[in-house]
Amino acid sequence: MTWETVIGLETHVQLSTKTKLFSRASTTFGKSPNTNVNLIDCGLPGVLPSVNKEAFYKAIRFGMAVGAQINQTSIFDRKNYFYADLPKGYQITQMDLPIVLGGTIDIEAGDGIKTVNITRAHLEEDAGKSIHDEFDGYSAIDLNRAGTPLLEIVSEPEISNAKEAVAYMKAMHQLVTYLDVSDGNMAQGSLRCDANVSIRKNGDKELGTRTEIKNINSFKFVEKAINFEIKRQIKVLESGEKVTQETRLYDSVKDETRPMRSKEFANDYRYFPEPDLLPVVISDEEMQKIKDEFPELPNEKEIRYQKQFKLSAYDAQIIASSKSMADFFESAAKQTKNYTLLSNWLIGEVSAYLNKELIEINESKLNVDNVAMLINRIDDQTISGKIGKTIFEEMCINGTSPDEIIESQGLKQISDDGAIEEIIDTVIKDNSPQVKAYLEGKDKLFGFFVGQVMKLTQGKANPTAVNTILKEKLKK
Amino acid sequence: MLDHKSISSSELIQETFRLAKQYQDLNCFVTMNEDRGIKKAHSIDQADSSHSQLSGIPMAQKDLFCTEGLRTTCSSKILSNFIPPYTATAVQKLEEAGSIIVGKTNMDEFAMGSSNETSYFGNVHNPWRKGYVPGGSSGGSAAAVAAGIVSAATGTDTGGSIRQPAAHCGITGLKPTYGRVSRWGMIAFASSLDQAGPLARTAEDCAILLNAMSGHDLKDTTSLDVETPDFLASINQPVKGLKIGIIKEFDLGDLDSEVQARFEESKNLYEKLGAEFIEISLPNISASVPTYYSIAPAECSSNLSRFDGVRFGHRADNTEDLNDLYIKSRSEGFGEEVKRRILIGTYALSAGYYDAYYKKAQQVRRLIKNDFEEAFNSVDLMMTPTSPNTAFAFGSKGAQNPIELYLEDLFTISSNLAGLPAISIPHGMVHSLPSGLQLIGNFLQEDKILNAAHIFQQNSEFHLAKPSMEDF
Amino acid sequence: MDQETVRTICYLARLEIDKEKSEKIENDLETIIQLIGGLQAIDTSEVEPLYSPLEKTALKHEDIEASDNQKEKFLKNAAASNKDYFLVPRVVE
Repeated sequence: MTWETVIGLETHVQLSTKTKLFSRASTTFGKSPNTNVNLIDCGLPGVLPSVNKEAFYKAIRFGMAVGAQINQTSIFDRKNYFYADLPKGYQITQMDLPIVLGGTIDIEAGDGIKTVNITRAHLEEDAGKSIHDEFDGYSAIDLNRAGTPLLEIVSEPEISNAKEAVAYMKAMHQLVTYLDVSDGNMAQGSLRCDANVSIRKNGDKELGTRTEIKNINSFKFVEKAINFEIKRQIKVLESGEKVTQETRLYDSVKDETRPMRSKEFANDYRYFPEPDLLPVVISDEEMQKIKDEFPELPNEKEIRYQKQFKLSAYDAQIIASSKSMADFFESAAKQTKNYTLLSNWLIGEVSAYLNKELIEINESKLNVDNVAMLINRIDDQTISGKIGKTIFEEMCINGTSPDEIIESQGLKQISDDGAIEEIIDTVIKDNSPQVKAYLEGKDKLFGFFVGQVMKLTQGKANPTAVNTILKEKLKK
Repeated sequence: MLDHKSISSSELIQETFRLAKQYQDLNCFVTMNEDRGIKKAHSIDQADSSHSQLSGIPMAQKDLFCTEGLRTTCSSKILSNFIPPYTATAVQKLEEAGSIIVGKTNMDEFAMGSSNETSYFGNVHNPWRKGYVPGGSSGGSAAAVAAGIVSAATGTDTGGSIRQPAAHCGITGLKPTYGRVSRWGMIAFASSLDQAGPLARTAEDCAILLNAMSGHDLKDTTSLDVETPDFLASINQPVKGLKIGIIKEFDLGDLDSEVQARFEESKNLYEKLGAEFIEISLPNISASVPTYYSIAPAECSSNLSRFDGVRFGHRADNTEDLNDLYIKSRSEGFGEEVKRRILIGTYALSAGYYDAYYKKAQQVRRLIKNDFEEAFNSVDLMMTPTSPNTAFAFGSKGAQNPIELYLEDLFTISSNLAGLPAISIPHGMVHSLPSGLQLIGNFLQEDKILNAAHIFQQNSEFHLAKPSMEDF
Repeated sequence: MDQETVRTICYLARLEIDKEKSEKIENDLETIIQLIGGLQAIDTSEVEPLYSPLEKTALKHEDIEASDNQKEKFLKNAAASNKDYFLVPRVVE
């Protein structure tokens, strides 16, 4: 029996507005509990919401980037349900007439590019946070997050496996960070997704019963949760049972999905248009301004990097693929002329480090000045590339500048020909058997001599000079 | 207007508190504001600056308006301990104009009722007859003005809750155009219907109060971005040539003969003053009551969800889990009428019923609004009795069948649905109890109805009648 | 309105009705439903619902912080809270 998987993803993107969707409280992450809370966010009696225009502009930017239809008139609706972190007992969202309709996004799928259709994207307010295990017998409610603008992006059920789901999420992440729609910080909850997963027999037209896995907040968990769920559903169907339509949570510790308790009782959300807000209209002028101020997208950057910085197509693509990396590159490129060396380092050493630590460049201790300085010191031969790697390690740990490290550890490259000649003479004098062997044809020994020079100079000898002078001295 | 030469603010406020105590059997106040009230009166007396019209005027504020630091209950158990951290815009504007809050007035719980019999704090008495309802939901405010404790009060009107108690208590009450007065801080019952407005003895006083209360508020998206005219400016215009519509579909023949008689007499007075009466048709107006009772409960069922015992208000003891907390807190905290309306509203919005009830009602609402728009092409304003009946004895209506009380709103409800301004003025007694006359104006034309009301009062004395208060 | 429906809407509204009062409440609800059901007779085909008496559109405000946070006051109003959080009976997900 071969099974086919059908996945639809609902992505919740926290917008990077300074204030909330319906109040002017700050959205800054990490504040002490219940301090980013206005009267409106607390859902006090008598308060009324009012619309943050920047949230709409960001949503529209997203819509334009995916080629969607923008509904210049859109409506807010109330979604009614009870939960401790939902102060009003309803969430203000968009149901019948969302701001964005349709659109497509390209993802990397196995053997090429796959275009996934977007059903719609709408604005809604985020709920607060409940903390269940910190206070004995109680759950604690923090409303800092309540009212933060979310853009909920719904894909058509066109994703076929976990890897594609991850690719979709990555493409979404790149797009929203590029557009300055969201900071995309998944650890802080800026990007989460619900995965709707169902399976059916290969060739079947009808969709199988789907389950919804809620609130997955990392690429890794997206892949694991979906893979687990697919396996689970296959097992259920192969044993002759039916898949229950339900909402599940992914437990990353046990690497499994399980049903959510609070969703036992079917909820009727009783949507109706929000009477405290009227239809929101975006004028043609506002639309034009959004178009005029549209940021540069990844593929445009790639092309420009090849032209402006003479990067190879391959290098340009890698640098441009991450907004934080691209921004870093361009800032550093203001302080150094060796763009190729800079991009090599970013793609090589820097990326390796970031991948190991699972952080973005703007979350590391590396700053533009220091990296540019490192490139310049290698470029002007103050240090060798090899020493550069040592310095880089120090930079990552402490954020110290290369000049400080070179100074304090005495790492300057020895480039003075005279000094190098002296050392080479010493090496030749002290290693006559090897010299003899080399002159008799053992060419591989050349590396040995280089190594000896490096040893005597603690790696600081300028490799090019060493090679040249050594070759001279060992001329047969 | 307070004549500061003949009486100081402090003297006036002391007298007000004395009267409130004397007539406490009326039960029109839930919370008094003595300390702060006296302090403010004192500072007004000390101030050198010239006094505005409302300077030093004691006012009763309906307990639906949030007042910072002063308990606000909506006459409900669920808010019986709620101290708001902010003040409603409408109240703030009145305070900035110099008025002093005397206290928060009793009302039907969460503004749901037409008789002030659903309050957690007990019924309010009609000053004209003990044991009789003052009307609702702004019963406390109307009684306080009628008894002469204060000369001005605020109310809110969702289906007639300012106009109807004004009629039952023999005073004047105005519901402005929807959006004229900010709803920020006004605890919501039905968001698309609620409006705040003044209650006083005369149309002129209502105009002064409305001047102060009105205005665009950025905190209320549904407040109108229009200049507030001076509602006193045209209040003395003669009514000669004024075209007043009589609504054909309101068959007054079924009403008490005395009610009909008062209406005819008022019509005659206007005709004598030169107004012209035209019969107009509002074909869908008889659907007003069912339309309202689909929409208002639906909106209220959602607006009252925030009363869950978590962040403020009554929380039940000994609850097992979160759901239990919700169910017990809300069931203990809300009275019967509120529960009824929440349940109806929940039903009207629920899957499978939304189209038939809520959506349908909003469609009929548009028809009703269109009817008004059409009719205002041929008239300046419309006239009806405010209420089919006068005040009645406690418990004599609605106990068996809630619809009985709903039908008390027959004449007032349609202007809420259409968002139109309307005023009720006293126009005589019916079986020794006050009866009210309603004037409905076109969108943003409060000045026209205030003018017509004022001229009526210049040519009659009904608004000057005061209850004897001998039973209190 | 059958028992099942009443139970469902009571749960959705997080309300419970006393056993003694339940029959009266059910009758009342039935009566009111009949009242509002009378609207079915009116022809509203092609009529747009009127969700607000205002034919205007929403104001939008600038994305600039204007805080009126009063954390202590908010927490003080709650029946159960500590210096940082509102507290409710523990929820198990």
